[in-house]
Order: sequence, then structure tokens, then C-alpha cells
Amino acid sequence: MIKVKNIYKSFDGETILKNVSTQFDPGITNLIIGRSGSGKTVLVKSILGLYEIDKGEIWYGDINLTRMPEKDRKKMRSEIGMVFQGGALFDSLSVEANVRFPLDMFTNKTPKEKQERVEFCLDHVNIEPIAYKLSPSEISGGMQKRVAIARAIALNPKYLFCDEPNSGLDPETSTVIDQLIQNLTKEFNMTTIINTHDMNSVIEIGEFVLFISKGEVAWEGTNKEILHTENKKLNDFIFANKLYAQLKKEGENK
Amino acid sequence: MKFFFHVGQYFYMLKKVFSKPEKHKMYIRQLFHEIDSLGVNSIWLVIIISVFIGGIMVIQFAYSMANPLYPNTLVGLGTRDTLILEFSSTMMALILAGKIGSNITSEIGTMRVTEQIDSLEIMGVNSASYLILPKIIAVVLIFPFLYIISVFFGLLGGLITGPIAGVITAADYIAGIQWLFYPYYVTFSIIKTLFFGFLVASVPAYFGYHVQGGALDVGKASTLAVVNTNVLILLFDLILTQLLLT
Repeated sequence: MIKVKNIYKSFDGETILKNVSTQFDPGITNLIIGRSGSGKTVLVKSILGLYEIDKGEIWYGDINLTRMPEKDRKKMRSEIGMVFQGGALFDSLSVEANVRFPLDMFTNKTPKEKQERVEFCLDHVNIEPIAYKLSPSEISGGMQKRVAIARAIALNPKYLFCDEPNSGLDPETSTVIDQLIQNLTKEFNMTTIINTHDMNSVIEIGEFVLFISKGEVAWEGTNKEILHTENKKLNDFIFANKLYAQLKKEGENK
Repeated sequence: MKFFFHVGQYFYMLKKVFSKPEKHKMYIRQLFHEIDSLGVNSIWLVIIISVFIGGIMVIQFAYSMANPLYPNTLVGLGTRDTLILEFSSTMMALILAGKIGSNITSEIGTMRVTEQIDSLEIMGVNSASYLILPKIIAVVLIFPFLYIISVFFGLLGGLITGPIAGVITAADYIAGIQWLFYPYYVTFSIIKTLFFGFLVASVPAYFGYHVQGGALDVGKASTLAVVNTNVLILLFDLILTQLLLT
């Protein structure tokens, strides 16, 4: 579980996050949504400890990240997996070497144990053995995202962060990635936080949705509640998409 | 003001680079990879340039010393000392700053703009140390060897070209390159190559590591890295020559 308590963050005198408080539970997919520039990336980077917050507290379970020295934070990061927008796979390494990298760096497992773990992770994200030796540039965007997820779960993390995991993917592949993240979250009981503005993801897997507007928490709830909310800011954000506006209209007519 | 900011940031980066590695085995593996990609892959370039420059130098020395009062052995001596003192150390470092330096900036810069460096940081890896330290050690280790290879092939180029061009006999040339030889010149130049190797790896790494933006900015950073490395090599050449040779 991750708890965020009254955090503030500003850059060059401009306040980006204002009094943000929320809680992300394990075993469910937690989504942070909001317009571009609303502060959701700053929130995620603050939770990750990449930005020092001005005020407030961030708790990983019963550990207070805000008071933790940098050395301990580094150790803490081995419990965190991250999937970046572009995958961020290492170009110079093959698919399997990418997944093995955190194991080589942070564990003392034998080569056989590492190989078993690599195959376990790649199998979980449906990557065929034929692709193991390929380099990231030789596989599709969807496969790159799946390999990135496999690398993120290689150390069996308690916390998984995904930054726009569907960007640049077709709708069908996006759904596959969403389902994959949700399944892994439940299987390994991870606290998963997904930063997105993809409404399909919100509807499909948004078991907890946090809506950020101008650096403040403007709404929080579930994907079931989101289509029926009276929150104007959230409605403006969701129903900017004509398809969802149509769905809401049809729902009201029934 | 910006100059001091960059100098400060460069030394701050070096502090991170020389901190304790997470896992020595991974760094050693990376070191061998860098020795191969940055050093061994530069050997052919060094050989080709040195052979041609050695040959050209012999013809030019022979032309400028076409005076019966000068002994023929001066051609070999001039070629040898120019290669040992300046060409194989400084000029070769300037050339390799273009090849190795741009390679380092573009590799690290691309990793920065594609979030690969952020990915290392989030895993808890000291990205500056993991990416830059093996490159610095590899280049500093390989530069003295490249220097020796350059001197050897430069002298060989002169030996081949001189008699073929008819400007000097092989016997006079060989006698010339053995005449008035001071071994300290080689020591002095090897010391220079260690400094140049450090600059050729660390300055481009700095520009790559701090790139912001996209592919275009990586290209700009590569150009800036090569220009700045070249200026620093010449500056250090001047300082080291004054300190060690006078």
C-alpha cells in the first residue's frame, strides 16, 4: 500500500502539486488520470522519490519515504518496478538480457536460477522463446512494452509503476497490455499505479481512479462510478471524447 | 556564469562516476565491452592515419632539408621526434576525440532521451558510474597502446615511402630514427596520452549524460562535446609540455 499525505511540490516558485492526499491499495490497478500538464507525472515522480517534495509525507507500507536517506532509498528501489512510456529497454542488450539485467545487478542467484526467472517473467507476458535473443529494435512496440513489464517484475517487486503504458499502441494491443498489468497485479498482489490519459484503460481496468486537475485531487473513485459522476472538471475531461459522451447520453435515455 | 555551472556539474558528475560500484562483476564485464568497442575498433583508423602521415612527413622533411650541409639522417630524426612528441599523442587524441567522443555522447545521449538512464536510476543503479566509469577506464587504458601503435606505424610509413619516393635511402632513414634518441620523450608522451584519454572519455560523457530533448539535441551535444574536448586537449598539451618538457 502507498499513502500520500498532504504533499506539495513546486518548481521555480510555481506550485505544481497542492495538498495531494490519497491511498493506493495492493492487488488492484490504481490509475492516475488528468489533462497534460495537470501534474500527474510530477506526482508519480514524487512518489518514486525522484523529486524531493516540499511538504507532506509518502508512505510505502509502514516506511516513510520522505525521511529516508538516499542510500536507503536506493535499496528500497529494488522493490519497485517501472514501465516507461517508450519501454526504455536497453538497446545494446537482447530481450532476455534486458530482463536478466536487474537479476545480475541485485541478486546472487546462479546463472540457472536467473535463466529460470527470466523465462518465467517472459512467459508471463506471453513472449515466445524465439524472441529471447532478439534486440529491442527487432520486436514490435507491443512486444517491447511486454518485455518492459517482464523486466519490471523480474525482482518480484511490491510496487509497479507504469507511465502511459498504452501510448503509441493500437486499441487491441492496448487492451492486451491493460489486461496483462491487471492480471499481474492480482497474481503477485502488487500495488500498481498507472499514469494514463487513455479512457479505454480507465473503463477497462480502473479499479481505483484518481483524477488530478491543476495539481489538486479533483475526484477519486472507481471505473463504475466515473461515468455517472457530477464532477464538472472530470466530466469535461472524460466527455471530451465523443464516444463516451454518446455512451453517457444513451445511458441517461434508458 | 554558464561556464562555471558546467564546470561544477562536470565535477559533480565525476564524483558520482567514481563512487563505489553496485556490483564489480557487472562493471568489469562492461569494461571489457568498452575496451573492444572504443579501443580495439579504433586500431585500424590509427594504423591507416599513422602510415600515411609518417610517409608524408618523410617527404616534407626531405624537401625542407634539401641542403648538402644537412645530414640525411635529419629526415629520420625529424620524423621520429614529431611522431613521438606531438603527432601520435596530441594529433591522434584530436582525431580519436571525433571518433570515440562522438560515439560516447551519442550513445549516452540516446539513452538519456529514451529514458534508459531513468530506468537504471529507478532500479537503484548509479547510472553515471555504470555507464561512464568503464568508458573512462577503457579509454585511459587503451590510449598508451594506441600511441605506441601509432609511433610504430608512422615510422614504418616513413620507411616505406622514403625509398619509394626516392627522397632518402632505407639505411639513412633507419640511422636517423636511431640518432639522438631520448627515451624520456616517450615517457612524456605516454603521460600526455593518459590525460588525453581521460578527457576524450569524460567530457563527451558529460555532454551525453546531460542532454535534454530529442535526437536533434543529441546531435548538437555530440558536436559540442568534440569541440570542447579538442580545446581541452590542446590546453592540456600546452600545460603538460610546459610542466614536463622544460
